[in-house]
Amino acid sequence: MRFATDTGGTFTDLVVEDDDGNVQMFKASTTPDDPIRGVLDVLQIAADQLGLDRADMLGKGDLFIHGTTRAINAIVTDTAAKTALLTTWGNPEVLVLREGGRIEPFNFTVPYPKPYIPRSLTFEVVERVLYDGTIDIALDEAAAIEIIAQLKVQEVEAVAVSLLWSVVNPIHEKRLGELLAEHLPGVPFTLSHEVNPILREYRRTSAAAIDASLKPLMTAYMETLEARLRDAGFAGRVLVLTSQGGVLDAADVAKQPIHSINSGPSMAPVAGRYFALADVGASDAIVADTGGTTYDVSLIRGGSIPWARDTWIGQPFRGHMTGFPSIDVKSVGAGGGSIASVDAGGLLSVGPRSAGSVPGPVCYGNGGTEPTVTDAALVLGYLNPENFLGGAITLDLEAARHAVETKIAKPLNLSIHDAAAAILDVVTENMVQAIDDITVAQGFDPAQAVLVGGGGAAGFNCVLIARRLGCKELIMPQVGAALSAGGGLISELTNNFRVVAATRTDEFDHEVARSALAELTSRANAFLANTGDQAIDSRMTFSIEGHYPSQVWDIEVPLPQSAIDGEAGVAALEEAFHQTHEKLFAVRDDGSPVEIVGWRVDVAVKIRSGEIGQMHNIAVAQGSENRRCFFRETGVADVPLVSFADMHEDSKISGPAIVESPFTTVVVFPGSEARKVASGSVVIEILGENA
Amino acid sequence: MNAAATRPVDAHLAFDGVKLAILNNRWEAVARKMANTLLRTGRSGVLATARDFSCCIVTADNRLLATAESIPIHVLVGPDMMAKSMCDLHPELKPGDAFLHNSPYHGCSHAADLSILVPVFDENGKHRYTAIVKAHQADIGNSIPTTYYGHAKDVYQEGALIFPAVQVQRDYKDIQDIIRMCKMRIRVPEQWWGDYLGMVGAGRIAEREIHAIGNEFGWDQLAEYGEQWFAYSAERMKDAISKLPRKTATSSSTHDALPGTPKDGVKINATVAVDPTDGFIDIDLTDNIDALELGINVSEACTRTAALIGVFNSIDHNVPRNAGSFGRVRLKLREGGVVGIPQHPTSCSVATTNVADRITNSVQTAIASMDSRFGQAETGALSPATMAVISGKDPRKGRPFVNQIFLGVTAGAGTPTQDSWMTIAHAGNAGMLYIDSIEIMEMAYPIRCYQRRLVTDSEGAGQFTGAPSLMGEYGPAGCEMTINAVSDGTLNQAKGAAGGGKAFGARQYRKRADGSLEELPVVVSVTLAPDERVVSYSCGGGGFGDPKTRAVEKVLNDVREGRIGKDRAREVYGVAVDDVFSLDSAETKKLRAS
Repeated sequence: MRFATDTGGTFTDLVVEDDDGNVQMFKASTTPDDPIRGVLDVLQIAADQLGLDRADMLGKGDLFIHGTTRAINAIVTDTAAKTALLTTWGNPEVLVLREGGRIEPFNFTVPYPKPYIPRSLTFEVVERVLYDGTIDIALDEAAAIEIIAQLKVQEVEAVAVSLLWSVVNPIHEKRLGELLAEHLPGVPFTLSHEVNPILREYRRTSAAAIDASLKPLMTAYMETLEARLRDAGFAGRVLVLTSQGGVLDAADVAKQPIHSINSGPSMAPVAGRYFALADVGASDAIVADTGGTTYDVSLIRGGSIPWARDTWIGQPFRGHMTGFPSIDVKSVGAGGGSIASVDAGGLLSVGPRSAGSVPGPVCYGNGGTEPTVTDAALVLGYLNPENFLGGAITLDLEAARHAVETKIAKPLNLSIHDAAAAILDVVTENMVQAIDDITVAQGFDPAQAVLVGGGGAAGFNCVLIARRLGCKELIMPQVGAALSAGGGLISELTNNFRVVAATRTDEFDHEVARSALAELTSRANAFLANTGDQAIDSRMTFSIEGHYPSQVWDIEVPLPQSAIDGEAGVAALEEAFHQTHEKLFAVRDDGSPVEIVGWRVDVAVKIRSGEIGQMHNIAVAQGSENRRCFFRETGVADVPLVSFADMHEDSKISGPAIVESPFTTVVVFPGSEARKVASGSVVIEILGENA
Repeated sequence: MNAAATRPVDAHLAFDGVKLAILNNRWEAVARKMANTLLRTGRSGVLATARDFSCCIVTADNRLLATAESIPIHVLVGPDMMAKSMCDLHPELKPGDAFLHNSPYHGCSHAADLSILVPVFDENGKHRYTAIVKAHQADIGNSIPTTYYGHAKDVYQEGALIFPAVQVQRDYKDIQDIIRMCKMRIRVPEQWWGDYLGMVGAGRIAEREIHAIGNEFGWDQLAEYGEQWFAYSAERMKDAISKLPRKTATSSSTHDALPGTPKDGVKINATVAVDPTDGFIDIDLTDNIDALELGINVSEACTRTAALIGVFNSIDHNVPRNAGSFGRVRLKLREGGVVGIPQHPTSCSVATTNVADRITNSVQTAIASMDSRFGQAETGALSPATMAVISGKDPRKGRPFVNQIFLGVTAGAGTPTQDSWMTIAHAGNAGMLYIDSIEIMEMAYPIRCYQRRLVTDSEGAGQFTGAPSLMGEYGPAGCEMTINAVSDGTLNQAKGAAGGGKAFGARQYRKRADGSLEELPVVVSVTLAPDERVVSYSCGGGGFGDPKTRAVEKVLNDVREGRIGKDRAREVYGVAVDDVFSLDSAETKKLRAS
C-alpha cells in the first residue's frame, strides 16, 4: 500500500493506493500549528472509511510520499532560522542589490525588498579567487575565526557561506566549512558551491542563504514526521516531494531543504504528464491546477517536464530568488477565491486579490462580502449548495447573488447571470494569459496540446479555457482535486548535478568536455547506488548551458549524444543549439560558434510500475438528475447532472451538462462533449470550428 | 474564442469592460513576447543586462496603444513620432518592410537607441499597426567609444550614423547595403549584428501575433476597441487628475556645470498647472536656456516623456499609459531650447538621462509642493563610473572590447508613502535595469571588481528616505582600460521634498597604484593604467517628509543595518539609540519634542 499526502494552504490531501492498484482520495483540514497532525487526521479518515485500524492500515504501507508547504511558509512568514552570511570582502551588498530589476515602473507603493539575510548578520571574509580559479588573496583564517566567534555571541542558528568564484575553485568555502564545524559545532551551514554550483553570485548566495535558514526547521520537521509515522505504525520508506517534481528521501531533504520549497505544486505537471499520455496518448500537455488563490500552469512538451533556472519566492524582483532550478510552474493570482470588482472607469477585473480561506467566498458565509469566482459559479447554478466538498460546507446562494448583483451587475448594468458569466470570462482570460505566457511566448501553439485540469475549482471554466486556447481535448483526472498528491504516486526519485566548465564549439576542448561529463556521470552513479531496493529502472540525461558569443543569457540544450566525439559530435551539438534557439526565439545565427558555460545531468529512478487504478470513493448521493444552470447560449435551463461514478466509457455526455464528484464539479459547456476513459478520467472534447 | 465574443456585436460598439480587459491583455502580451525575445537573445550588456530597450505597438495613425513594461524614458512618447515619420517619409509601405530609426530630429530619443519599425498589414494590404523595437546599442559609431558623448559640439562631432526611418528590410529580407554600412561604422560589429537579429526577431514575432489577433477579432472591430481603450484611459487619467489640488507651481532642478554650460550649470524650470475640474495638467518648459554646443540637449521625444514620467510618478499608478491618458497632459515647448525641440545639428547624444532627469525632477517636486500626498522628492542623477562605457583590448582574447557596465546605482527618491525603491538608477529608468553580476563581468571582460557597498549616512533623510549612495571600486585586469561616463549630481545632489533632506552626491576618483585618489571631472573620460582603479560614488535620492516624523522602528533598523550612524539618527531623525542598538525611548521623546 502507498500513501501520498499533500499539505496545502486549506486542505491536506491524501491519496491511498492499495496493492491491487485501487485508488482512493481523502481530504482533511490543514492544521497550520502542527501540520503533521493534519496528515495523521487524514490518515485516520481514510482508515475509518476503509474500516481499518489506522495502525493496521499504516502497517501495510511500503511508501509514504509527502508534499509540504512548510519550508515556503517559514520563509513567507519570516520564521526561518536566524542565519548569518559569510561573503567575500568587498561584496557585502550581494543580497541587498540583488540583480536589480523591477516590475510596475510607476508603482511606488511597494517597498524595496529587504535582503534575505540582514546586513547586520553579513560578514566579509578576507579572501579572493579569480575567474580562472587562481587565488589572488589567500583566506585569512584568523580573521575568519574571529567572525565565527561573533556568530556565537549573536546566537546565530545557521550559516550560509558564499564566496566569489567558489564554483570554479571551492577551496576557501570548504575551509570555512571546516572552521565552522570546528568552532561553531551544532550550527548547520550551507556552502554555496555545494547547494547550487552556478555562476552569478546573487542567485548562488540567495540559494545558500535560503537553504541554510531552512535547515534547523526542516531537519527537525523531517525527523518528527518520520518518527510520528513510525509511532503510528508505518514501517516503510518516507519520501518527500521536491521542487524538481521528483521525490527524495526525507533524510536527504533535511540536508538540502531548499529542494522542498515547491514541494507540492511541482507535482501537478508530473501527474498531468502521466494522464495526458495514459488517457489520450498526448505528449504535449498544458497542466493547470486551480487552487483558491492561485492558478498554477506548466507546459509539457514532447513528454518533458519544463524547467526554470529562476525560481522566485513571491513576485519577481520583489521576493527572493531561490537561484535553483525547479519545475517551471507559472503561478498567477486567479482561482476560486479571486475577487471580482468594477473600477471607477467601469472596467471589470478579477483577482489577483483573493478571499483566501479566511473569510473565503461570500457563499461560505464566513464574513466575505466581495464576490468571487466561486460565488459566480454558484450564481450560475453550476454548484450544488447542499453538497459542496462532499457536504462539508453548505453554500449561501442568496448571499452570493446579492454580492454579484450589487458589486458587479449594477455598476456594469448587466443582469445577475450576465455579470456572473462575465466574472468567469475575465478570470478565464487571466488564466489564458498565464498559459499564453508559457506557450505562445515560447513559440508554442497551445492548440497543439491537451489541457489537463486539476484542483477543486478547475471545473468551473476549464472548458472555456480549452475553447479559448483552441485545445481540442481536456482531461479532468479522477484525482484532479488532489493533483499534487496524485502526482506523488507516480513520481520518480530524481536529482540533478551540474558542473561549471567553459569551452566553445570553434575551439572545442575535448578534455574539458570529457572531464565535465565524467564528473557528472560519477556523481549520478553515486546517487543511483544509494537509491534503495525499490528502483525498477533509471536514466541519465545530459545537457549543456550555453549561448552565442557575447549573449548574456544561456539556454539549455540536451546533448544529442552522451559523449561528444570528434568534429562530428561538436557539429551535432552546435546544430542542436541552433535548433533550440530558433524554436525559442524565431532566429538562429548560422555559422556562429556556441559558448558552453555549464554541464548538467538529470537522474531519474523509477520506483513504481503499472498504471494508477480507478478511484473508488467517488459516488455522489444524488437527489436529482438535472440542475438549473445559466449558459449564454441557452439562458436559464435544466441541464443533465451526471456523477463521475455513473459515467461509462461508451457513453458520451453532450453539453450543456454538469459532471460531479464529491470533490469537484465540471461544467460541460454547450459545444463540448464528455466521456470517461479507462483510468477514470473524464475527457471532454471541444467541438466546432473554434477547436 | 471567448464566450463573450460570440455575442453579436453592434456596428456601433457599446462599452464592454470585459472585452476591453481581454484585448488590452492581448496587446500587452504581444509587446511582452517581443521583449522576452530581445532580452534573451541580446548580446550587448546594455541590452541583455540593463534591459535598456522597449517594445510597443502603435496604431496606423501613430498613437501609442500598448507597451511591454519597459524603461519609461524609452517608450511613453517617441515611438508614435517615429512611426509618423516612417509613414510620412515612406507613403508606400508594404508587408515585409522594416525600417531603422534613431534620428532624434524625427522622434527618436537619442542616436544610441537604434529602433526597428515593422508596419503590420491586414490581408487586404491595409496598414493597421506598427510594431516598434527600440534598443540602446553598445556602440553607434560615435567618434569616440561611448554612446553618451557629453562634449559633442554637434551631431557631426558626435559622429553617430543617423537613420531617419531608413528601410532595412524589403520582402522580409535585409537590405545588405545598410547592413554593410553599419558593420563598417559600428565598433564590435558582430555584437551589433547579434543585437540586430534579436530586434528583427522581436519585430517579426509581433507581426505574427498581431495577425492572429486581427483574424480572431476582425480588424475594424479591433480598431474600434482601440478607440474605446483610449477613451477609457483618458477617463482614468481625468479621474486621477481630479484628486490633485487646483494649483500652479514652478520648480527647478539643476544639472552640474560642465565646460560649455553656464557656470552654475543647466537649470531646468517647469511650471505645472493642474485643472482638476476638466482633468488636465499643463506643463510649461519654455522658460529654459537655448540649446548648448554639447551632447546633453534633450530631444523632443525625451522632453515630452520626461515630463510625463514626472506626472505618472505622482499620481495613481493604475492609470494605463497610452495615447488616451497622455492627451490629458499638455506640454508647452519651444524650438531651439536645451529641452524642447532641438534643431539639427544640435547633439542629443545624452538625451535619455542627465538633463531629461532634471525635467522629471522639476515636475514631480512641483507636484509635491502643491500637496504632500502626491509627487516625489528628486531622484538622483546619472551616470557614475559604475555605469560607464568601458573599452580597451582584452589581453585574454587579443580582441578589442567596448560595452557599458552596470555595476550598480541607487538614486531612488522618497515618496509620500514609501522609502525609495533603492535601485531606481535614474528617473527615466524607474529601476527596470538589471545590475551586473561580478562573476559574469569578470568572465566576459578584463575587469576586476574590488568592492561594492552602500555608504552610511548618505541617504536623503525624510519620513520616507531616499536611497543611499553606492560606492564601487573596479579596474582593469592586465591591460589599459578607457572609461567614459557623464556623471551629474556632484554639485546638485538630489533634493528632498515636503521637508525631506538632500542626499549625498556623486563623486569619482582615479585610484593610483600607490593608493592615492585623484578626483575626476563630471564628464569622466579617462584611460586607466593596468595598476589603476576607479572609485565611484553614485547619487543618493532625496528624502520625502520631515525626518523627525519617520517611524522610530525604521530609524532603529537603519542604524542596525548600518545605513545610518547613531549620530545621524539622533541629530537628523531625533532618535536615540544606545550601544546595544536598542531604543532610548525617553531620550527620543525629548529629542522629537524639541
